[in-house]
Amino acid sequence: MRRALFALGVVAVAAAILLPGAFGGSSADPGVTARSVTIGGTFPFSGPASSYAPIPVGMKAYFSYVNATKTNGKRGVNGRQIVFKAVDDGYNPAQTVQKTKQLVEQDKVFALVGGLGTEPTESVVAYANQQKVPQIYVSTGATEWGAKHDQQPWTIGWQPDYQSEAAIYGRYIRANLPNAKIGVIYQNDSYGKDYIAGLEGGLGAKKSQIALTQGFEVTDTSVTNQVLALRRAGVDTVMIFGTPTPTIRTYATMAAIGWKPQNIFLNSVSATDTFMGIAVARAGAAEVNGSISTYYTKDPANSRWDNDAGMKLYKSIMAKYAPSNAKVTDSLYVYGMAKAYTFVQALKAAGANPTRDSLMKAVLNMNDKSNPFLLPGVVTRTGPNDFFPISQQQLIRFNNGTWAPFGALTDTRPAGSR
Amino acid sequence: MPRTTTQIALRIAAVVGVALFLYFLPQARTDLLNYDFAFVGIYFIAIVGLNVVSGYSGQISIGHGAFMCFGAYTTAVLSVNYGVGKYWTLPVAGLLTGAFGLLFGLPALRLTGVYLALATFGLAISIPLVAKRFEGLTGGGQGRQLSLLSSPIGGVSTNEWISYFVWAVAGVMFLGAWLLLRSSFGRALRAVRDAPIAAVSSGLNLARYKTLAFGIAAAYAGVAGGLLAIATSFINPDAFPISLSILLLTGAVIGGLGALEGMLFGAFFVQFGPKWAESISKHIHYNEATVQSTVLYGLLLLAVLFLMPEGAAGLLHRARFVLKESRRWLYSRNDSRATA
Repeated sequence: MRRALFALGVVAVAAAILLPGAFGGSSADPGVTARSVTIGGTFPFSGPASSYAPIPVGMKAYFSYVNATKTNGKRGVNGRQIVFKAVDDGYNPAQTVQKTKQLVEQDKVFALVGGLGTEPTESVVAYANQQKVPQIYVSTGATEWGAKHDQQPWTIGWQPDYQSEAAIYGRYIRANLPNAKIGVIYQNDSYGKDYIAGLEGGLGAKKSQIALTQGFEVTDTSVTNQVLALRRAGVDTVMIFGTPTPTIRTYATMAAIGWKPQNIFLNSVSATDTFMGIAVARAGAAEVNGSISTYYTKDPANSRWDNDAGMKLYKSIMAKYAPSNAKVTDSLYVYGMAKAYTFVQALKAAGANPTRDSLMKAVLNMNDKSNPFLLPGVVTRTGPNDFFPISQQQLIRFNNGTWAPFGALTDTRPAGSR
Repeated sequence: MPRTTTQIALRIAAVVGVALFLYFLPQARTDLLNYDFAFVGIYFIAIVGLNVVSGYSGQISIGHGAFMCFGAYTTAVLSVNYGVGKYWTLPVAGLLTGAFGLLFGLPALRLTGVYLALATFGLAISIPLVAKRFEGLTGGGQGRQLSLLSSPIGGVSTNEWISYFVWAVAGVMFLGAWLLLRSSFGRALRAVRDAPIAAVSSGLNLARYKTLAFGIAAAYAGVAGGLLAIATSFINPDAFPISLSILLLTGAVIGGLGALEGMLFGAFFVQFGPKWAESISKHIHYNEATVQSTVLYGLLLLAVLFLMPEGAAGLLHRARFVLKESRRWLYSRNDSRATA
């Protein structure tokens, strides 16, 4: 009996602790004061996707630069310092949900900016839209951020979407490699499947040129079976649609079995100089040379930008505001900085006294040609029927340790809004 | 063992003290803290179950996250695919996961100690991947979006509601475990753990008890998983990393394996331990916060284990012992004075 009393006591204590806490009053525009704008986002500082951690660091560095720089005699944006709360979710949606609630309800952020990963982002879309918190410039290229605007009006992406990128490869093959026999090795998830859908769209009537598709799990430790199957099928053009590690593994496996397809395409996520360097080290330059991909940001590892004003600005900001162990040549920092630049432009356009509404209005009516970290000519643009901020990309070919652009910028903006 | 009211009061006071300490340490009290408490409750349920299998029957499981995953998917699939009210899916999540645990418990009988631990580890790795396979059912890697949480009671915030709900379930589950473990079943489990040969020679069916322990533990984890799906409104395989299983075992060890009263502390530690480490390290340096918080968390864990080698329950036990001894000493002085 007494033990039962004790047990009840424990439960009672638990219940007492849970008595209503102070309910935070929701003012019209949380996160904005006369001196600051607080924003936040969730990023994988730990866990399986932690190689993307440089992105928020690049963003933070740019915000620090803006906060320290005077425009019209005021530091920051209209005299407001940007406070950027980048929190770790370990790429685990259960954590993303908790950390996002913390950002919105406790830290009272004005907007969620740059949250990373398709599934983690997915896990808080409903919440952000219910709360009417701008969830902008998410760090994922899933097509849905632009395609489902009417269902989730407070959410928008930033980078070119995966389907558009793959469509560029498809159109290139249609125009330049009419007899190509295509084999696809792809990550068996929504990310990889987005690419296949885009490739088929770009090939159009030539879709039948895809001879074989071979999926792998992101957790697989080998792609040998898939590579062998592609070789057996006699394909001469290999599309690698995966994240960096399996992409590098694919190169290494092809080299190990002594197979060099005539054409190799790989998605831009895996095509940074850092990752290509590893691929060359593992598979040899002969295997990797000639590979084709796309990019839209300036590449800090490429010497062609050494005298470019935007690249110089990037490097000076990195030197001054990034932690000393940051590897400046990692283009993920440029990605973060370019994204932070877009946010600052949107915040400026949101007016002297920004509200969540005015911010979204600015985000959805943007036409910015000034981003110094993007390739020349790449415009950040949105409009009434266009919810894909960046949709121009440049085809590039890898040779002897570096990427070289060829052809013109390709725009994949939905027809009619170009 | 007879107890005085004072002893029970002291016991409750100790738990209250620890709870209040934990409660006020992290930050000023906010509505959001209720949401954190919901997660404490979820981990509490899972750890109480884990304690049945690891603490009482002595079978170490590093795969408890897999059972949570199973329960969470049961809730998600029933409520998203079949339109069952999400709160009503919880009993099913518990029963199905319990059945799954029984099935796993059968082959696990052949394994003991380290080998069993490895087998459960395999479970933690494979179950989320299995969930990824059946895309039509589970949504694959993209997971399942449940309806958003909302409080059905006016004047009660969403966060309050979910923590009330979770703790109501936790209270019932705790009471169930407590009654079960003080019954002959609990005694049998302890016998199986401490002296298997003696237990068998006294007529206990070793296999039956070991398997049942797995089934019960899994059922608890299944309910916890279902609650997790409800509280987060979204699950996918990434929500059940191997680290979850390890965290749960950490919580059970810190709470004190083989005793129920410390599990509350263990659950608090699972939810708030990493957060404290993170918030402390954030004050030091922004960019290396994660690295530092991991180190700090490790140090915190070591400190707790050094200071309380038998977990929170062991500490309570020791405090009671010291109290009893000092009182005995006091009484004996009084007695000697009386005789003098």
